[in-house]
Amino acid sequence: MAATGSLAADAPGGGDPTRPGAARPAPSRRRRGATAGGTALWLLAPGGLLIVTVIVVPFAVALIMSLLDLDQYTFWQWLSAPFIGVGNYAEALNRTSLLHAIWVSGSAAVIAALLALPLGVAAALTTHLPFRGRSLIRSLYLIPYVLPAFVVGTVWRIILQPDGIANHSLATLGVDGGLWLNGPKSYLALILVQAWSGWPLVYLLALSGLQNIDDSLHEAAALDGAQWRAKLRHIILPLLRPSVSLAAIISLLHMVNSFTLPFVLFGIPSPHDVEVLPVLTYVESFQNLRFGLSAAMAVISLVLILIPLLVYLRTVKLDGPEATA
Amino acid sequence: MNSVLRLLPRPLQIILTVVLLTIVGAPVGYVFLASINTDLAVAAGGVWPEQVSFQNYARIWSTVPLGRGLANSLLVAGTVALACAVVAVFSAHVLVRHAFRGRRTVLRALLGMQSIPGTLLLLPVFVLFATVGNTVGVPTIGTRWSLFVTYLTFGLPFSTWIMVTYLRQLPDELTEAARIDGAGTWQILLRIVIPLSWPGLVVAAIFAFLLGWNDVLFASVMTDVDTRTAAVVLQVFGASQEGGAIPPYGQMMAAAIVCAAPVVTLYLAFQRYIVNGLTAGGVK
Repeated sequence: MAATGSLAADAPGGGDPTRPGAARPAPSRRRRGATAGGTALWLLAPGGLLIVTVIVVPFAVALIMSLLDLDQYTFWQWLSAPFIGVGNYAEALNRTSLLHAIWVSGSAAVIAALLALPLGVAAALTTHLPFRGRSLIRSLYLIPYVLPAFVVGTVWRIILQPDGIANHSLATLGVDGGLWLNGPKSYLALILVQAWSGWPLVYLLALSGLQNIDDSLHEAAALDGAQWRAKLRHIILPLLRPSVSLAAIISLLHMVNSFTLPFVLFGIPSPHDVEVLPVLTYVESFQNLRFGLSAAMAVISLVLILIPLLVYLRTVKLDGPEATA
Repeated sequence: MNSVLRLLPRPLQIILTVVLLTIVGAPVGYVFLASINTDLAVAAGGVWPEQVSFQNYARIWSTVPLGRGLANSLLVAGTVALACAVVAVFSAHVLVRHAFRGRRTVLRALLGMQSIPGTLLLLPVFVLFATVGNTVGVPTIGTRWSLFVTYLTFGLPFSTWIMVTYLRQLPDELTEAARIDGAGTWQILLRIVIPLSWPGLVVAAIFAFLLGWNDVLFASVMTDVDTRTAAVVLQVFGASQEGGAIPPYGQMMAAAIVCAAPVVTLYLAFQRYIVNGLTAGGVK
């Protein structure tokens, strides 16, 4: 697709291809004055300046900090803190629960996204055709998406209390709920709440994919006498695959990076079973005051994000429909 | 026609709709019921209030500084929304109407930047603000200004991308005609681009607003007691209630609803624009 071609086209001047995040806009924006013939490029200045000072420079600082022995004693003179190379990375991998946190974050995000996909697609299928009350149902479907993560976390934290409504409801079914916010089942709670707040995004993208399917395909299916099951399986779902995969990648990125939901839902100190990467990194900085170690963890989490991120950047059309059609 | 386009048999469609609405509605409905119930009954796991009372909504304001939190959130998120939309339309106009080398790299960076973990930037941003504050002698950490600048910047990649996807739907001819008539960049922006793109601007502003309203990570370390946003007030409230005799769950539910209300209202008012902006951009 267009995005793939442009990757190669940009490569000579695109900076370090292994760091497509914050490090990139700086060189390209600085270069523009020399190469562009337009007159309005100064309009990029406010945004560019802000992004450089609050994203690009801190990004570089984070990379530097991850190589320093930075704690509460050396913090305020951080530029002269002892340089220990990859020491923080080695410690993070060998002597902290980083690998466990990576596993928890990654696996919970994958399972939650897998749960969210069928829900989102089903919701899209039910609201594809107009009926009375459809717009109300569409709005209701999107409620979990609209609620702020800190509200979702607060609410589910109360619902999942040992004596809370969730366990009372389970008890009427004869099931002993037990602990949801601590111990092994907290992992399940994290997945369920993430899926609950994540599926409407899948719904949105699946619905827009559904509405881009040409009517003639429906007609062709009807002419061939296809029943709904065959039509769904052989025509509709294959055509939905691009939008659903995009939704899956975005959900995955969002869930792996999600700090607020686990932070509010389980609190700090986080139960070991749901000690996700962002929370671990945060605690290492702002509770244990091991700033260098925390920076190394954050860099490692960026590397993890990179895989789905690169897939995502190749999927999204950079230049709009007219350029890629 | 309708039967040709039909995807699911009617019974299945009804069953699925009911199931999905239950998944959404059961927790949300419970939260409403709990917010008009007594703390005691909520803590005991009761669902239906024996007597409906809106006391929780009255008492919450004195239990926690929620009013101040909401004011801080509104102030910060509101100004971020306005500033972000303006800066985003500037950048997006250039990115859509001017061809320059590295343009696609900038576009890709805009998308990539949204996925940088906040935890990676939190510490350096904190250090940089503190250092600037110490050298210049103005307070930074703990002020609303530091939050404003932070959210504005983090909102920019997303809002700019939304504006890029919006502006390129506008025909080139409009700006070209104005240019031929001798209009400068400034005039083109003010007279043509901004008036024609306000649906996009609304979406860009709303998402910047949501970013500020929803953030806990940066607000939890960059605010003090007086500048705390509603998100941090609610988070601290929730975290500090463990082990009490009767946890004020009813009040907490009321507070959660109060914190969600502005966001839900914004969303309901601009739902169509938001959904279009989102699906056109292919972003979260």
